[in-house]
Amino acid sequence: MRLKFIDINLAFGQPVRAGYRPAFTAGDVRRVMKQAGIAKALVWHVAQHDLAPADGNRLLAKAIAGASSLWGCWTILPPQTDEVITPDFFRRMKRHGIVALRAFPDYHKFLINRVTFGRFLDEVTERRIPLLLSLEKGGITWPAVYQVMADFPKLTCILCDIGIWGVDRFTWPLLETYPNLYLETSLLALDDGGFESMVARFGARRMVFGTNFPERYPEAGMLSLIRADISRSDKQRIAAANWEVVLNQMRV
Amino acid sequence: MKKTQHLRTAFFSRRRVPDCPVYDLHGHMGPVYGLHINRESAAQADAVLKRNGVRLLVFCHHAALLCPDIGNAANIVAVRAFPERLRAYCGINPNYPDQIEKDLTSFDRYPDVYVGFKFHASFHAIPITDARYEPAWALADERGLPILLHTWGNDPQCGYTVIRQVAERYHRAPILLGHSCHGAWDEAIRLVKDFPNVYLELCAVMDERGILERFVEELGSTRIVFGTDYPWFSHHYYIGAVLGSGIGDEDCRNIFYRNAKRILGK
Ligand SMILES: [Zn+2]
Repeated sequence: MRLKFIDINLAFGQPVRAGYRPAFTAGDVRRVMKQAGIAKALVWHVAQHDLAPADGNRLLAKAIAGASSLWGCWTILPPQTDEVITPDFFRRMKRHGIVALRAFPDYHKFLINRVTFGRFLDEVTERRIPLLLSLEKGGITWPAVYQVMADFPKLTCILCDIGIWGVDRFTWPLLETYPNLYLETSLLALDDGGFESMVARFGARRMVFGTNFPERYPEAGMLSLIRADISRSDKQRIAAANWEVVLNQMRV
Repeated sequence: MKKTQHLRTAFFSRRRVPDCPVYDLHGHMGPVYGLHINRESAAQADAVLKRNGVRLLVFCHHAALLCPDIGNAANIVAVRAFPERLRAYCGINPNYPDQIEKDLTSFDRYPDVYVGFKFHASFHAIPITDARYEPAWALADERGLPILLHTWGNDPQCGYTVIRQVAERYHRAPILLGHSCHGAWDEAIRLVKDFPNVYLELCAVMDERGILERFVEELGSTRIVFGTDYPWFSHHYYIGAVLGSGIGDEDCRNIFYRNAKRILGK
């Protein structure tokens, strides 16, 4: 029996710095998903990072409208500047099939903490909307991740692109302390023994599968998980089921 | 000839593909300062290699690169404990010329251990053109032994400019560009075109989707070798990436084992 894969770390759109094989459209993404064997995906548009979150969010919503295999993920900015977070924000999320949020505090020049996001992230926490933070894409530094979790300890937070050098020294203390913190697997899959040591220490419920396509090859993270020395049921949790649990708990 | 992609199906359905062994020409061993390594020991490496169908790992122990007090003894102990699947590069640290002399003098006592040399000029902060590497270059070139270089962009210690300078001097030793001058892909391709003994190695190259496809398009696949920095990185991650690039089976076979066997004289 083949594993069912859901990819939560997948982007499309024309990046400001052209990579070698970008995925320009949601259609490109769907073709690659089909070829690689990925059933569904949580996607975002690169303009949410490269240009401005509001424009990117709009492009994303338009591109995924009616695509049943894709969920959307919007990028946030501080509520004070009214650029993204408006009084009808959660209603708009629902209308456009947006089920998760991203923030790139370093690249977009703000701090993600209680001073900036107090009431908003309290509500995100209460609604159990996952917040995705990328350690690679000019997203956030480790001290800032520690600060966010200290300020919002019950936040459903998924750390993405966790770094190419094994980062257990950063992630294990967080996983020990914050029960709603998850690791996205595109770079955990790169670590020799990464899945095995996570399962041995924390069980299989703290990881959600992602590929970081189109920067990386989906088949890399997939084959690494398929060949990990953990049980089949743990593989299926990581490949799709953990995300489904997160999604079912979410309310917009 | 139309390219086939049966290997992709084979590796996704079986843990090992017996008619397609994997030779990993870029490995390490032991703990290291910047990250937690899950499987540090030679015994763990041997078990992983066996289970995953990796026929041979050629490595340089972190201690041989980063701790002169231990040095190449760590390589010798590891290979002699697990000779079936392990071979080592003799690590050269140009900060310690006396030690280089000792390692070269005793090199022939370990034909079962060493296949060649590893220079990590970035760790050692001395460019690969420096005279202190010279005795190792000379020995490798005289015997046609591979030298695995850590290479990165146009880094002054280990980038394409200094690589070109050494490639102009040494024509017999296979020069393996670890990480393929990461980021400076055009210059890496140029080096392979200009020097028949220069090879590209894939560790960290697979970070960026599309590069391997370009290498194969421009150079074919006979000058590209598989490497992972194991135990930093997972063999199956890298195998999946190579298969995911969509290059054909014959190219995969060249990369996974044929080129390595030729370089190692097997
Ligand atoms: Zn290395």
